[in-house]
Amino acid sequence: MAKVAPRVAHSCLLLLAVSVLSFALLSAAPGNFFDELRLNPSISPETVAALKAQYGVDQPWPARYFHWLSSIVHGEFGYSLSYHCSVGSLLWPRARNTLLLTSLAMLFAWMLAIPWGIVEAVKPNSWLSHITSWLTSTLLGIPELVLGLLLLFFAARTSWVPTGGMFSSNPSSASASWKLADLARHLVLPVAALVLGSAPIFVRYVRSAVAEVWGAPFIEHMRGLGIPTVRLLYRHALPVAANSLISVFGFSLGALLSTSLVIEIVLSWPGLGPLALEALLSRDIYVVMAVVLLSSVFLVFGNLVADLLLYWSDPRIRTV
Amino acid sequence: MAVEATAASTAPTLLRVEDLCLAYEVRHRVSRERTKTIALQDVSLELCSGQTLALVGPSGSGKSSLARCLVLLERPSSGRILYQGQDILKLSPDAEKSVRQELHLIFQDSATALNPRFTVQELVAEPLLIHKSIFPGVNFNEKVRELLDQVELGKTWHDRRPLELSGGQRQRVAIARGFALRPKILVLDEALSALDLSAQAQLANLLLDLQECHGLSYLYVTHDLRMARALADEVAVLEAGRIVQSGLPAEVLTPSLQPVS
Repeated sequence: MAKVAPRVAHSCLLLLAVSVLSFALLSAAPGNFFDELRLNPSISPETVAALKAQYGVDQPWPARYFHWLSSIVHGEFGYSLSYHCSVGSLLWPRARNTLLLTSLAMLFAWMLAIPWGIVEAVKPNSWLSHITSWLTSTLLGIPELVLGLLLLFFAARTSWVPTGGMFSSNPSSASASWKLADLARHLVLPVAALVLGSAPIFVRYVRSAVAEVWGAPFIEHMRGLGIPTVRLLYRHALPVAANSLISVFGFSLGALLSTSLVIEIVLSWPGLGPLALEALLSRDIYVVMAVVLLSSVFLVFGNLVADLLLYWSDPRIRTV
Repeated sequence: MAVEATAASTAPTLLRVEDLCLAYEVRHRVSRERTKTIALQDVSLELCSGQTLALVGPSGSGKSSLARCLVLLERPSSGRILYQGQDILKLSPDAEKSVRQELHLIFQDSATALNPRFTVQELVAEPLLIHKSIFPGVNFNEKVRELLDQVELGKTWHDRRPLELSGGQRQRVAIARGFALRPKILVLDEALSALDLSAQAQLANLLLDLQECHGLSYLYVTHDLRMARALADEVAVLEAGRIVQSGLPAEVLTPSLQPVS
């Protein structure tokens, strides 16, 4: 606990700094939500000025920042000028949808990457390793946008899975199991796109971490004793290789809210991605700030989790 | 060239290497061209029970490759390795496992040769756990304590991890671990080279004491001619993968008599 408390305090300070900097930069950017209204000849400059005053846009940014900060305490995260409601009420359902999608994608990506990376590291010259290595390189070379479009094309041609959205327009009387199955069918495409995009990166990390340990003299020595390969892998190689992978895992936790932005837009997933894009285009500053802050919270939280996992898993760190 | 047992060694031959050849084949990743590097060529030698054979030679002469072949970490291209008259390159996996208990390699860099996450106790216990079937009813904790006592590593160090130990202490742990399965042959691959003079002398004495008490045989791979002279009963000189000289230390390691050494 004595080691965790300073880290948490440090994380809170970091988040505060991120929020101040983001707010200042967004405020410094030219233009605001009401600039488009000025172009409309039917709206008088006085009306625009009155609207700015009503929503506090004419105040200096520190005042607006502190006002926004106090709204966070109430869970509102400011007021959306586009949607005319509190940002909090917009944010939570979207964040939940994004988390559902990215958590599943991360889970499957790691489940795929760990055995895949181990095979590439332990049997580098096997035919299986050559195939997986070729596949990894190919997938790494395809941009996420192209991957999403290819899957969308595939789904549209085959009609095996829905091409977008989160639910079908089902009757309200549909059973819970039908709704669950419907959600699962809608998840297939975006999850597949995210897994194919992120798993090759994790494979590279796993392969590199395990290969480095697999060639270490202490592994050679154990092999000389006639230790079975499975025991060698699980008792000696993987625990030592785990440290760098835990850091990458923490980073992937941190990217849970930001990793799916493109895929959500391409595959019409009602998550934070489309909301953030619309808010950026319309300069809905409080929505953008909320998305930035939430992503930062996840990044800081992911790193904290990685640190705690390292502390828990590596006795060397505990004794320092 | 075979190293014949000298008049001084009347002990039976424990290990005989016959015409051992080892070549590494490397394929260029881009051109796919295969190149062959010969590490060992027609190497023959003998190690008698309870004796020390020093294998000396310049860097890249194939000393470590030979050491790795002897403990089955490398498969030679051709030749035979006879341990107690049995060709260990042709053994079944089960028989090979039992031979691995009796031939043990100790590396030069103990910092990387010991699992950094294990404590000293865990490191020494690991070989016992792997081969626990040969120690029925043995209390492993006591056995580990006994082994660490033999290498004079006090109780205060038992819960430390390798990076908390000095180079000499780590090498003591490596020796205790190497000695855990009561091997008949310890292959010491530059095992003392990375240590300071005082630690070298202490460990050399420890190795001699263990040899005297337990009748161990050592294949001592080194480029340190002074240590080879101090420890070895016989010396073989390896150059470019071939044994070019062999005999008693006084004969081989006298520069005026033997230009290669």
